[in-house]
Amino acid sequence: MSRILRIELRRSAALGAVLILLLAGAVLLYAAPQRWSSGWMSLAMIQREYLVLLWPLALAVGAWQARREHRSNVGELFASTARPRVQRMVPTLGAMGIAVVCAYLAVAAAAAPWIIDTAGYFPATVFVVAAVGALALVAAAWLGLAVGRLVPSLVTAPALAVAGIGLLMVIPVAVRRREWLALVFSPMYGMGQYTDYQTVYGRVSAAQAIWLAALAVAAAALLASGSWRTRLAALLPAILGAGLAIMIIPRNDEFLANPVDPVAQEQVCAEGSPRVCVSRVHSGLLPEAAPLARQALALLAKLPNPPTTVHEDTTTYYPDTSPPRQADVVLMPITVDKNGHLARKAEIVPTMLKAAGANTNGCGEIPSTSVSRAAEYWLIGREPVTEYAHEPAEDNAEAVKLWQGLQRLPEKEAAARVAAVRRAALACEDVDGLLTRSAR
Amino acid sequence: MMRTVSAAETAPTTHPWVVHTEGLRVRAGRHLAVDGLDLALGTGVHGLLGPNGAGKTTLMRALATVVKPAGGRLTLLGEPVDGRSDLRRVRRGLGYLPQQFGFYPRFTVREFIEYMAWLKEMPKTVVPGAVQRAIDRVGLTAKANARMKTLSGGMLRRAGIAQAIVNDPEVLLLDEPTVGLDPEQRLDFREMLRDLGVDSCVLVSTHLVEDVVAACTDVVMINEGRLVYQGTPDDLITQGGQGDAGDSPAERGYSALLRRHRAGTGR
Repeated sequence: MSRILRIELRRSAALGAVLILLLAGAVLLYAAPQRWSSGWMSLAMIQREYLVLLWPLALAVGAWQARREHRSNVGELFASTARPRVQRMVPTLGAMGIAVVCAYLAVAAAAAPWIIDTAGYFPATVFVVAAVGALALVAAAWLGLAVGRLVPSLVTAPALAVAGIGLLMVIPVAVRRREWLALVFSPMYGMGQYTDYQTVYGRVSAAQAIWLAALAVAAAALLASGSWRTRLAALLPAILGAGLAIMIIPRNDEFLANPVDPVAQEQVCAEGSPRVCVSRVHSGLLPEAAPLARQALALLAKLPNPPTTVHEDTTTYYPDTSPPRQADVVLMPITVDKNGHLARKAEIVPTMLKAAGANTNGCGEIPSTSVSRAAEYWLIGREPVTEYAHEPAEDNAEAVKLWQGLQRLPEKEAAARVAAVRRAALACEDVDGLLTRSAR
Repeated sequence: MMRTVSAAETAPTTHPWVVHTEGLRVRAGRHLAVDGLDLALGTGVHGLLGPNGAGKTTLMRALATVVKPAGGRLTLLGEPVDGRSDLRRVRRGLGYLPQQFGFYPRFTVREFIEYMAWLKEMPKTVVPGAVQRAIDRVGLTAKANARMKTLSGGMLRRAGIAQAIVNDPEVLLLDEPTVGLDPEQRLDFREMLRDLGVDSCVLVSTHLVEDVVAACTDVVMINEGRLVYQGTPDDLITQGGQGDAGDSPAERGYSALLRRHRAGTGR
């Protein structure tokens, strides 16, 4: 059996399948590395999303392989042999299964060197998400084998590929508001990352794994079956699997929409002081982030009772969550560039110093841009400049005027007024006029 | 060379004939291509002769258990072959080269024959040795690791014979095995047939009367699905006279038998 499996691995479409899937997967990943450069979970999820192409390809490869007996006209010869067709199919199923799993892992391996230096957080969920992806490919390849055997035509493989893409596209639309149904039946649904902290819940993965395993078993049974009665019976595992998966999948909306991994969001701190912390998922970027964070703290040190700690700004907009407002903490925005390193480094310190480093998350109303910016540039020590591409010119002119007013004041008084802006912003109070009024 | 011998192989034979048919009827499509055939074959090389459309290939397919008989009785290795019986044991003792030999072009000769040995449920331990023996026997040793698709017509035919004999079958069915073989290879093939016929029942379907006379111990001739003649090659020769068509005594015997059968059935 193992010798026959080895022959099948060498001589079936298995090798071709590995090459096609690896090439397609790697091209997709490297076409937009910024989509997955932020960490291992990102990579695992984006790879799942690219099943939109890989899943139909696996279907097609399976269907192509299934035509072999028909194409080679071996039916007559094989019909005279003792081994039942169920057993004859086992090495083919094995070879195709091994091939697509290897291809899926090889795509991940091809991406790994890109982020291995910068991606610090490797939760076990990564393996689960990847395993479900690999299982999806196995189910697709086996389903392709089964369909290809039932319809051994030259057009089966391309038609299945197109139908597969179509199915993955239609599922989210077809289920309408019952999003959880799409999560069960589409291996790529919900895998787009809105935040770097995003994860896939274990129960979702479990439901997906049950459905895909059932689909794979049904496909194998369909491939091995010889009569219409056994073919109908082969649908049974698929129906059972679908039912079980639907029972297990969570249906709570909040539970489903871009769930955040709290461990990924936890702050981990750099050695030394002052204290600089970033989320665990970005912990690989601490060496790059710490000097910038300390630079911002040094500039804020001009103020009375300055903040002493930097945390990463872990605000997410969908779902809407933000870190608590704390007087001694300055938030640092962290975005990852396509190479996995800290993006937009030059903008980080100015952003941290907006409103004199006050966290205004959850305040609702955005504090006056001109006051916030004047305080920011007074701390930096140069004249305010336009920050947004299409902002009205008078916004910055107002900031410049306020900044010039601060410059004319004695250092201590200016610092007191900027500190007042900071206090007010932290309390979600109006900051207008605080820079032109004497600080009490 | 040593090999393990299964209990089934050493068990005493309890059936008088290796292949036995009584009133066998087999359909080819809607047409009854074998129609009431009585045949009993034992160990030896049997040449199956008959004109095109006589039912040779359909008979071969029925004996290979590929098509179910439509009526009558067929017994292979003492076991009845009908819709109900489990054919696994019988099939393990079969070797079959179909008229249209299908193969996987990407496999090497060795791989394909090994694959066939696996399909024939040969014990794992004996497979590598048996594969090599079969390849050597048909003279494909030098091509053992060549892909099937690179073989010439004659080599393919020999690869087909190799897969048929790899399991040392008790019933070996060869449907036109000499097509594509050059004269020298045909001589080697006859030699091999004589060798195989020592302890198995070999049925060779062919149009070449000369092959039958040279290599077979027994001649079976059918026409329109029925047995016309069964006897020795020497007896076949005596059937023909100077007036019969043919370039050799055996061919004249063949023509005479066919002419008489057609006259007897009124056609």
